[in-house]
Amino acid sequence: RYVRQLQRLQLLFSPTAADARGARQFVEEAAQDFARQHPDVVLYVSPHSGPGPAPVLRAEYLNGTVRDELIASKTSEEIVQLATKLANQSGLDIIRIRKPFHTDNPSVQGQWHPLTNKPSILTIQGPRLQPQ
Amino acid sequence: MVVLSAARWVRSRLSDRFWRVQEVLKYARHFRGRKNRCYKLAVRSVRRAFVRSTKARREKKRFLRALWITRIEAASLEHGLKYPAFISNLVKSQVELNRKVLADLAIYEPKTFKSLAALAQRRRQEGFLAALGDGKEPEGIFSRIVHHH
Repeated sequence: RYVRQLQRLQLLFSPTAADARGARQFVEEAAQDFARQHPDVVLYVSPHSGPGPAPVLRAEYLNGTVRDELIASKTSEEIVQLATKLANQSGLDIIRIRKPFHTDNPSVQGQWHPLTNKPSILTIQGPRLQPQ
Repeated sequence: MVVLSAARWVRSRLSDRFWRVQEVLKYARHFRGRKNRCYKLAVRSVRRAFVRSTKARREKKRFLRALWITRIEAASLEHGLKYPAFISNLVKSQVELNRKVLADLAIYEPKTFKSLAALAQRRRQEGFLAALGDGKEPEGIFSRIVHHH
């Protein structure tokens, strides 16, 4: 069963700032539809009064990563697209994956070491064998 | 008085120079000397580093293939076969394993690699018999080819 990795979305904006207009429109129009379409994501709307930091959409994931996205001077549709993109992501860091595969047990027959293909007389430890 | 455009002698000044500089310097942090601190030197070094990394992507494929070949050669010599004999006989026995997989088998699955070396050796002997024996003996078992249609 699919478990959505996005825990909560926090919409931090100021109700009077000019660049938070898209955020305010999003809250008025599209936030309820978004919350209904994504029932397992909690949407918090926290307006802070007065001049403050830039409007930001904070996404918190199940593995603890917090991702802030600036929504200053963005339209309501763009914020909806951003929010859906964040909702479909997992919380893993967005860096280059070195290899697309990984195993915990790479070797089934035992990894090669310099004595694998040598006669087993060399691996015997004990009292010195007398030459016959 | 309504002013629709700024006066011509008023010019706009940069306010985010710090962040524009940091965008370049963040790629130079692990460099040696002043090029990891000074923007003017870092710009040149970062650009050369990017150019070199794009060119190196083509070299990486060649380098890795040479590495695999070295490892397969070492492993097959342990079993008494040289690399060209090993590879050619594997291909003749229709074992289409590439060098990457063969190198990984040689490291992590030594018994499988030993059996592959034995297969190549047997096919080699059958090849010699077919070439020198002049067609009176039956054809070798491992020289049979499977046709996939």
